[in-house]
Parts: sequence; structure tokens; C-alpha cells
Amino acid sequence: MHSDRQQTAHLQSTAEVTDMIRRVAQQDREAFGRLYEATAPKLMATVLRILKDRSWADDVMHDTYVKIWHKADQFDAKLSSPITWLAAIARHGAIDELRRHPARRESSGDEIDDIADSAPAAHDQIADHQTVKHLNHCIDQLEKDRQDMVRLAYLNGWSRDQLALHFDQPINTVKTWLHRALKQIKRCLEP
Amino acid sequence: MSERDDLEMLVAEFVLGTLPKEERESLQARRTREPEIEALIQQWETRLAGMLDAIEPVELGPDLLARIQRTIEQQQSAPEATNPTPDNVVSLRKQVARWRWSTAVASAAALVLVAVLATQPEPEPQTQSFVAVFQHNDEQPAFLLTVDLDSRQLNIQPVTAEPKQDKSYQLWIVAEGYGPNPRSVGVMSDNFTLDQAALREYDPETLRDATFGISLEPKGGSPTGQPTGPAIHGFLYPTAANETSGQQ
Repeated sequence: MHSDRQQTAHLQSTAEVTDMIRRVAQQDREAFGRLYEATAPKLMATVLRILKDRSWADDVMHDTYVKIWHKADQFDAKLSSPITWLAAIARHGAIDELRRHPARRESSGDEIDDIADSAPAAHDQIADHQTVKHLNHCIDQLEKDRQDMVRLAYLNGWSRDQLALHFDQPINTVKTWLHRALKQIKRCLEP
Repeated sequence: MSERDDLEMLVAEFVLGTLPKEERESLQARRTREPEIEALIQQWETRLAGMLDAIEPVELGPDLLARIQRTIEQQQSAPEATNPTPDNVVSLRKQVARWRWSTAVASAAALVLVAVLATQPEPEPQTQSFVAVFQHNDEQPAFLLTVDLDSRQLNIQPVTAEPKQDKSYQLWIVAEGYGPNPRSVGVMSDNFTLDQAALREYDPETLRDATFGISLEPKGGSPTGQPTGPAIHGFLYPTAANETSGQQ
């Protein structure tokens, strides 16, 4: 079926990306170029979603791939999938930047709409189809506000302060809600 | 809450991105030292990564990969900066061959080096013209230095060099009869020009055997009279003045 084919495609690309990272760890520049072509469009989208500014995102992407070049030998396939590992470097780079220069990002009102429309995209290879479905199912079990909080934090880089302001709650309440939501997600994902 | 729970939430909020800046930085420092924290972080990354599926890939700017490669290249070749090779033209070619980046953008950058070598303006048949190539290295991008030995006119051309803020490139010469230390030829202006007559005190024979160096110095040139930044070196090679090269 359709999802089987997606799953197969995902597994193939996971093996390919793992292989590219292994080669990059051996300073293979050609593999680095291929790794970039294969993964940068997704990582750029991730960074851009958080920073909302192309040239700022370019800078973070630059630092991300320089880091990937140097840290490729630290990738451990037993601990995470390759694309998850790569995306984490990009995402945290973007969040670090945003925390350092919060004023540089213009908050826009349509971010809520962005996350509301968060149906899984068919083309993607961050995680296999079943995993994505399972996570979305678990998030959807949360109360509506907490679903939005989790997605706004993770996808758009919102801080506790921004969440508190938007949801009109004290920061400590936001923290408590987030902790409950994360625990609930973890429990829900357990086999 | 147990200590284990606290740590779990610290990590989960770090991955979610909501951990306040100071706690975030301290956890990032810890993850490099404590493998159990690194493992916990990766567990949470794996749990939440599925959310990224909602993000559609975007097209990339054409220059980004080349910029990344340039940075890596500069970092990688840093140790070579203090280790000049005796034949820079040959090693330049080797270097171009070694840097077989996979994209057309980067190849184009490498080709610029070669193309400039090949399309140097033809010298007048009678003049003795020499060219020195300065390798791409560390923070010292490639230059071409052309010297007309008869008139002792020099012409410096950046190939991949870019102006650096608050820095100046300085040209040096080590020549027989002038002691073992480099002597300053001059400090380049921001658009890489240099007094064309800066070599007039050296006779053609001396220039022919001289070694040239370019170093990156504080704005206005070296404060000590000697290169303070790592220098790159070039030797003069005759251009193919005697060959006929067809109609122009």
C-alpha cells in the first residue's frame, strides 16, 4: 500500500544519509556535497520557520553545515536517525540565535495558522510514516491550547515568555503545562 | 519530583526549545561531558522529530554551499599556511584537484584560478614578464603578481581574495643581498592596488630569484616591520612571452 511504499522510501533514504554522514566523517568532500543537496532544503525550512528571515537563516545554515562537517564522526546511528540528528543541529542553532537576538525576529500573527495546518506532508523523510502518525496522535490527545504550545515551541521557536504572553498565562503556568504535555507525549509514545 | 524527573524535564524542554537561555547553555555544556545526558537528549529528539514532517522543504540560495565549502576549506588548510611549498604553481594545481567539491558552483570557483592564469594579457614580445601565484590558503586567498623585469613595474591582481575589514594585505620580498628577513614592498590599498614602481630599487636579476610573500596584517600594514600574520609565498615564473599565441 501507499504507506508501505513511503516506509520503504524512508528506510532507503535513512541508509543513504547514514552512509553520507559516515563518509563525511572521513573528510569525503564529495559526500558532503551530496549530503547537503539531500538534506539542506529540509533543514533550511526548519530554520526559516523559526527565524523568518532569509539572510539570518543563511547564516545559521552556514554554521550548521560547518558543524556537521566537523561533528560527523560523533553521529551514532544507535541513538538517533541521521536526519533527526542533522535537523537537531540546525534547529538548535536557530533557537540559540533567536534567544541571543530576540528583537531581530518579527512576530507575525499567522503563526497560529501555520501550526494549525500541520498535517504530515507526504514527501518527507524525517521519520517514517507510522512514527509521525503516532506522534501526531499523541499530541492531538492534549488539550487544544497545549497542542498549540508544543507546536509553536518546537516548530516556531517560541520561548516560555512568548507563550505566556500569547496564551495570557503566568510563565510558571506555561512551564507546568509544558511539562505535563511532554510527560503525556512520552507516556503515549511508549509501546 | 525526583531528580530523575527534573533532569528528564530539563532535557525535554531543551529539545522543545523552551528552556530559558542560561539553563539552555548550561545543558549544552553538560551534554559534551556527560554521555547519559547526550543519550537522553537524543531520545527526546527522536520522540519529537516527527513534528518536522509538517515543514515543507524550501529552495536554497545558489551561493550557500560554496560559502560553507569556503569556510571549511579555509579551516582545513590553516596548518599549511606556515608551510610554504617550493613549487606553488604545481601545488596550486594539486590543490585544485584535491578540492573536488561536487557542485558546479564550487568548480566554477576553482576554474577562476586556472582561467586567470591562462588568460593573462599577452605581454609585449620584448618585455620579460614574470608571474607569481599565491595559493589559496587559510585566510590568505589567491593573488597573482605580475612583474615586468625590464621596467620593474608590478601589478597585483586578486583572484579569490576579498577585502577584510580592519585588515590590510601586505606584499613582502626576500631577495639575495637584502638579508634573511622579508622586506616590505608595500601595503595594498582596499582595492588591492600597490605602487607600481615599488620594486624599482631591486635589479632584474635579484627580482628573478626573489621570493614574494603576502600576509594579512592589521589595517595599514605590519606594526613591526616584519610579517605578523602567516604569510603565503610565491616565486616568479616567466610567462610564455616567446610563444606565438595566434591572432588577438
